[in-house]
Amino acid sequence: MTEHNEKLSYLLDDYPGENPEATLDEVIGDVNLQYRMRRYQIIGDAMRHDLPQAIDTGFHQSVMARIREQAVDSPEMSTESSRASRLNWLTLRPFAGLAVAASVALVTVALWQPLKQESGQADDSLASAEQQKIQQLARQKVEGGAVPVSTRVQALGTRWKLEHEMPGLQQKLNAYLVNHTEYSNSVQGLIPQARVAGFDAQQ
Amino acid sequence: MGTNLLDADLVKRVQAGDTGAFDILVQKYQHKVINLVGRFVSDQAECQDIAQDAFIKAFRAIDSFRGDSQFYTWLYRIAANTAKNYLASRARKSANYTVDVDDAQHFEGESGLKEYANPENLLLTDEIRATIFRAIEKLPDDLKSAITLREIDGLSYEEIADVMDCPIGTVRSRIFRARDVIDKELRPLLE
Repeated sequence: MTEHNEKLSYLLDDYPGENPEATLDEVIGDVNLQYRMRRYQIIGDAMRHDLPQAIDTGFHQSVMARIREQAVDSPEMSTESSRASRLNWLTLRPFAGLAVAASVALVTVALWQPLKQESGQADDSLASAEQQKIQQLARQKVEGGAVPVSTRVQALGTRWKLEHEMPGLQQKLNAYLVNHTEYSNSVQGLIPQARVAGFDAQQ
Repeated sequence: MGTNLLDADLVKRVQAGDTGAFDILVQKYQHKVINLVGRFVSDQAECQDIAQDAFIKAFRAIDSFRGDSQFYTWLYRIAANTAKNYLASRARKSANYTVDVDDAQHFEGESGLKEYANPENLLLTDEIRATIFRAIEKLPDDLKSAITLREIDGLSYEEIADVMDCPIGTVRSRIFRARDVIDKELRPLLE
């Protein structure tokens, strides 16, 4: 036993001896050696005037009891698990960085696409409306149906009748349209007659 | 020596999940930590509570200790910060805390909840000190010199061997024998 006590004394003075691991194992596993170590510690503290006003003999037991309680309450507090989680984090950190970068890129692309579609849709909708009009006109022509200019003209064929009876009327009408082009809401520069072009089905 | 190999070894063990090794560290540094906290907080009961908190914080954070500094330096920093935080939170509390005049006679405050510095503990501590110094006085000169040079002057075994002009083995033996003699007197008080 004296040999153990002697080793304990060296260990406290930081002279671990030949097999410090074994000595430390003995101390941790032997309550009597721990009590002795604490008394050796008290001797040194008293000599250096480091003893507190009142020694609480159960201080270390209270600390260890609280540590055990908290470890039970929150298992992640245990050293093993916290070290494992830190190791996991260290391993996964580069991948987490990549994942964040990929997410940012994905969000950017996802946001950019609708914006592009919105601005493109305006152009597309104009183009498709024009396209539809052209197609509609073309289809009507193919079907042989005349583009109705006015019900009056279509129904009675008055336009041709009037043209026969009053030959200058067509020219007057054309001149009127040309002179009043600027009042038209159609695109300037286009021939205004084009908007009312047609022919009488009864011609 | 003086590189605290024991502390380094104990810390490694705690980091590997051996809580028993932390118990040794607590026993080794409890008085120093309580004294350090006592420089910030005068109430002895509060000192004990804050010192306990400091040790628990150290246990929680021990994985972050990389050994760049000595363990006790790291531990003292935690203890000092815990004491300062306690004082700051107490100052905030007292600014918003009022006690009704009628309740004042029953009010003891937080320090009254735990009585570490009770008369028995104070008496015991005084008796421990007196016993140790009495035992040292009775030691033979060679043992008294060896233990004094080690514990009070903090000399290494090599330095004590130089001072006492004897082999290191003799120094080790004298220091152990001195401790053993004092311990025989001290032991009945702490059982």
